[in-house]
Amino acid sequence: MFFRCKNCGGNTVYSPEHKKMFCPHCDGTDSGEREAGNGQWECANCGAALEVGEYASTCKCEYCGSYFIMDDRVDGKYRPHWILPFQMGKERVVGKMKQEWKRRIFTPDSFLSEATLEEMKGMYVPFWMYDYAARCVYVGTGTKVRVWVSGDTEYTETSYYHVERGMDIDFDRIPVDASLEMDDATMDLMEPFDYGQLGPFAEEYMSGFYGEVYNMGADELADRAVKRVSEDAGRLLMGTVSGYATLRQERKDVDIKGNGVHYALLPVWRYRYRYRDKDYDFYINGQTGKIVGTTPVSQKKVLAYGGTVFAVLWAALSLLLHIVEVV
Amino acid sequence: MKQYVRYFKWYFMAVAVLAAVYGGILLVHGSSDYGERRNGECMTEERVFDYGEVLSEKEESKLRELIEKRERQTGCDIVLVTLNESLKEYAREKEPDVPYGEFVRVFAEDFYDKNGFGYDKPVGDGVLLVDNWYRENDGNVYTWLCAVGRPDRKYGLDGMNHLLDNVYRYVESNPYRAYRTYINEFYHDMTGSGRNTVYLAGKDTMPFAAALIGMLLFLAFHWGSKKGEKTVTASTYVEGGKPRLHRKEDVLVNKVVAKRRIQTNGGHGGSGSRSSGSRSGGTHGHGGHHGGAGHHR
Repeated sequence: MFFRCKNCGGNTVYSPEHKKMFCPHCDGTDSGEREAGNGQWECANCGAALEVGEYASTCKCEYCGSYFIMDDRVDGKYRPHWILPFQMGKERVVGKMKQEWKRRIFTPDSFLSEATLEEMKGMYVPFWMYDYAARCVYVGTGTKVRVWVSGDTEYTETSYYHVERGMDIDFDRIPVDASLEMDDATMDLMEPFDYGQLGPFAEEYMSGFYGEVYNMGADELADRAVKRVSEDAGRLLMGTVSGYATLRQERKDVDIKGNGVHYALLPVWRYRYRYRDKDYDFYINGQTGKIVGTTPVSQKKVLAYGGTVFAVLWAALSLLLHIVEVV
Repeated sequence: MKQYVRYFKWYFMAVAVLAAVYGGILLVHGSSDYGERRNGECMTEERVFDYGEVLSEKEESKLRELIEKRERQTGCDIVLVTLNESLKEYAREKEPDVPYGEFVRVFAEDFYDKNGFGYDKPVGDGVLLVDNWYRENDGNVYTWLCAVGRPDRKYGLDGMNHLLDNVYRYVESNPYRAYRTYINEFYHDMTGSGRNTVYLAGKDTMPFAAALIGMLLFLAFHWGSKKGEKTVTASTYVEGGKPRLHRKEDVLVNKVVAKRRIQTNGGHGGSGSRSSGSRSGGTHGHGGHHGGAGHHR
């Protein structure tokens, strides 16, 4: 599938800034017309062969830069229920990263150089979203202690309480990434996404970005969601038991029942920076702009900045002490 | 480079301001000049009398140069005497009941008067430090600071003790440094705002250590670039934002009271006292009023 501009014939893409389809060639908006693919993996614009990854649902022609959506990978069992369109375009993301980079002063100077920024990719990451209902019960014995002194006697009063809690929790759309390429811990750190902007899937949102179909089924990943629900439910349950000096648990049950699962695509920008033969990946939430990633450290800058801080502090303190001594 | 300059701009400016303030203070202090010495009756041009032989020739010469400069700036004679001999006989001959701690005082006042020190007149404005390295029979080594004229009026007992404290910080390990401190601190006290100079312990090592710690903290703070913050909580995905608590029971079942008798301690207290004293001032012959203070080690 390909979106062609009816004004100039160029490839139209989804623009987060305009919140609609946009033609970067003639600046036309909403001028894209859908052209179905011919079932072969070749560029409908220039005819070049397309390199499509195992799980890719979109790809970019290396020769003319047009974006294609693989029809069979956004259809049938691969058709997502929901998509959260990109809210932040590349320029805004770069601005945000530069701001962040200012704080990370040991980052090499070539970080975020124009050449490497070219490689920044916007991608829709496949997620399974699970609904669960948790029924929680807690039974235990709590103690409260009161101490007072009267005359030459100290009294310690220990009160024993029967503590019982019952709680129902409905978890709504717990996200678990279904991409083998994406690190699970990193994707967890991308959260939260604001589901208010989650909408029914439409191919238009994918033009101009990379995308994947789910690499693993919902059943395979359910354990991760269950583990999370179990931990969160336990925390919420125990958050209601407070004010006791000691607590002895007699029973704690968290019964979890699945209420449904949905397939969704969520927006993530990826910036890969290579420094001293090592790749450093940065991920930016395409909706909120939250940045996740570890920057490399330039030894040259550590020496320069560390040395300057030392020299400045030394000079300032020495001068200050000398001033205090003579005035 | 641009980022570096931008980052340290305010740090550099702060150091420049401090340097300017310090330079200004030194300039103000250095500009005070009392003109030529007016005492034509002084018996000697010498100011450093190293009878105790604790200084090298070179150190003596450097102290003389410093004294010459500071005398013009303070308008006071600055004299240093080191000894390594018992003053018991000498002092008791002049003052039969004088205690051990004041043998050096007797010597200092006598030495000052005999030589007719004083910047403005004989037995006029000046200070003299006598540091006797000899351990007297009472087991102590004594030092006396004698002030005459303006220094006497400027210094109180506390001020003199303060100056001697500062001298004593170095005297055992580095006598030259101790005597330089005596000269410089006297100069600062006389030309400064009137308050005694503050002795800051570890003035030289403290900034180094603090700067080192500061640098390590700075590196640790900026080095530890975390991958990202976890910004979801247990209730982030809970429908409606909070769970439904349908059972909440806290029922008192039992209550136990334990008693404990508090042991009171009727023990005995005791106190002792220590006293210390020093002597300041005193009239003396030759028409001069000598203020002074002594220390022992």
